[in-house]
Amino acid sequence: MRRKPILPRVWHFASFGAPGVLIYLCFVMAPILISFGYSLTNHNPFNPPSEFVGFENYKLLFQDEQFLTALWVTTILTVIVVVVPNVLGLGVALLLDRKGWLYNALRSVFFTPVILSSVVVSIIWTKLLDDRGPVNDFLRAIGVDHPPGWLSDPDLALYSVASIVCWQMLGFCVVVYLAGLQGVPAELLEAAEIDGAGPVRRFRAVTWPLLAPSLTINTVVLLISAFKTYDYVKVVTNGGPGSGTTATIAFNVLATGLDANHVGYASAMAVVMLVIVATLTTIVLRFLRLREVDL
Amino acid sequence: MKRSFALGAALLVAASLTGCAVGGGTGTSGGEISFLTFETPNLPPSYWDAAIKRVTDRNPGLTVKKLVAPSTDRTGYAKQLLQSGQFPDVAIAVDSAGFAESGNLYAWTPEELKDFQFPAANPIKGGHHQLPANTQTIPPIYYNKKLFADAGIASAPKTWGELLAASEKLKAKGITPFTIGGGKEGFPSAMLLDGLVSVEVYGKTPDWLSQRRADKVKFTDPAFQQAFGKFADLVAKGYVDKTQVSRDYSATETAFLNGEGAMYPMGNWFAASADAKKPSFDIGVFNFPSENGKLVVPAYTGGGIVVNAKSPNLDAARKFALAFQLDKEQIDASVKADGLFPAIKGYTPPSDAGPVFKAGYELYREAVAKNAVVNAFSWETADDGLLPGMKDKVYQAAQDVITGRKTVADVCAFLDAEWAKAR
Repeated sequence: MRRKPILPRVWHFASFGAPGVLIYLCFVMAPILISFGYSLTNHNPFNPPSEFVGFENYKLLFQDEQFLTALWVTTILTVIVVVVPNVLGLGVALLLDRKGWLYNALRSVFFTPVILSSVVVSIIWTKLLDDRGPVNDFLRAIGVDHPPGWLSDPDLALYSVASIVCWQMLGFCVVVYLAGLQGVPAELLEAAEIDGAGPVRRFRAVTWPLLAPSLTINTVVLLISAFKTYDYVKVVTNGGPGSGTTATIAFNVLATGLDANHVGYASAMAVVMLVIVATLTTIVLRFLRLREVDL
Repeated sequence: MKRSFALGAALLVAASLTGCAVGGGTGTSGGEISFLTFETPNLPPSYWDAAIKRVTDRNPGLTVKKLVAPSTDRTGYAKQLLQSGQFPDVAIAVDSAGFAESGNLYAWTPEELKDFQFPAANPIKGGHHQLPANTQTIPPIYYNKKLFADAGIASAPKTWGELLAASEKLKAKGITPFTIGGGKEGFPSAMLLDGLVSVEVYGKTPDWLSQRRADKVKFTDPAFQQAFGKFADLVAKGYVDKTQVSRDYSATETAFLNGEGAMYPMGNWFAASADAKKPSFDIGVFNFPSENGKLVVPAYTGGGIVVNAKSPNLDAARKFALAFQLDKEQIDASVKADGLFPAIKGYTPPSDAGPVFKAGYELYREAVAKNAVVNAFSWETADDGLLPGMKDKVYQAAQDVITGRKTVADVCAFLDAEWAKAR
């Protein structure tokens, strides 16, 4: 029996994989490597030539109060954005996991914000949360003399921005959890019911373990989205009010690179952000994968 | 088939290489140039189209491809275009700092600038890269005459003491003395601070920011801190409402035109809106008052067209820029649409300009006659301007004081720290 030559098979698979690999190399790996290269220089597009400065940018970064504040702001935002849509999304998905036109309509309602542009969402919420916007007008109408400055109070602005992100991401979590709920075998739930398990016990013992993959997807997507939050901050608060109240790392990267022209320093920030996101994602993925069960 | 595919691919590669080789220009040919503009409620597409048509009608063979910045941050957009090798041949109201030093902007000759009133405005390393087309006073204080009358204020304040007294009377009547904003633009938060630094600091030391660049003075020095302290004093006395910090520029303007707030410190471009929208009350304007009433008027001259020094159609670009900026009809249109004070020798504004514009223009002419004009803090764009990225820090510092997060000493130290990083 003649064996098939190996090389043509390799060529066959390579021809399928090459376009994807090429795109990945050009549009993901190359920018990362270029960014790392810039981070080792004092590159300023308006002041060439740039000089190699080694890890000086990284040293300065960890003494930079603005960057450390941005790191803290990003951490708070990430915790809120990972937890809130996950918890609310699960609750909403459990409520909507029923048949009927009303539930279908409600699913659309919750999913609509996801398909809107984040800039549009930010503009809408900026108008709603303005001191003279509908939210505060309503509060005044019900007797609140001094309604909160949702976007102007430095103690509140970050939570307002985080709420907007949560509002938009909620629909995504609902859809992923609903898909997970569809995958829970009805016979398992019936068996648990026959065994005398109530709704809470059925959820804890059967549904929740089988929703583990949905939790993994939601958590990782939310974690990455939250860490690279730029658009909401740019449109809603432009990093303010004041210095460092809502400025995330991603916001600082662009402000430092584009406004102040310090591309080298901004690249160092971007590289640090990439390392943090990659590390956190790996840890979270490993931890959550342990919880996943196979049917 | 194979041969035509190869030929097509070769042409594609050649075309892309040619595109890359153009570098710094848009690759336009013949008499065609690209022109980067921006749009605001005052300057809609029809304004730009009509202006371009006027110039091209008078210059046969010249064609203009209009580009529009996606937001009012046209300088940021111009940077992106430069980085991607698509820098336009001509751009208007783009901050020339950075572009000029790196050799990307054409330096105008004295002969080309002979028709401008202030040809020496905004020098960058000795060169003049932006046509000094118009002047803006930043900020005079516009006021609601009805609210002033309601509070029993007989005349516009001329000294700092009179301004405080008027503010107190307004507050006592339950009227918010100052209308401010902030939001994503930031600058409406700093208008009062801009006025104070210009009048108090530049009034005594006109080249203060040049000295800051040379590290001869600092933001933490008493002169600057004192001006910032007066701003903080307005906040402490409750004449500024901190919840207004979230309001964007357009909402800030609307609030004043709706009668929310008695005084509105803003650039003279506001006059165009005030005259066009005709609110239900009369609007007056007075110069930003100094401590003792000495006339000091902050202003910025520039804002005109810059030309790409590496443009493949440099001659056409220069010709278009000068024709655009010196065209009488165009200048009249800019006066009516954007309230600008044209800085062209021998120019007089149209007789049908609105009353708010005329009132502001008279104040400016008086200041020019008395040699009382100084730079407008945070609006300078040349060797005597803030370092790149510092404008936003000034806005942040103003907001930190308004919201009560930081003291004056803290924000001045913050500005010095950010200045060191911006170098």
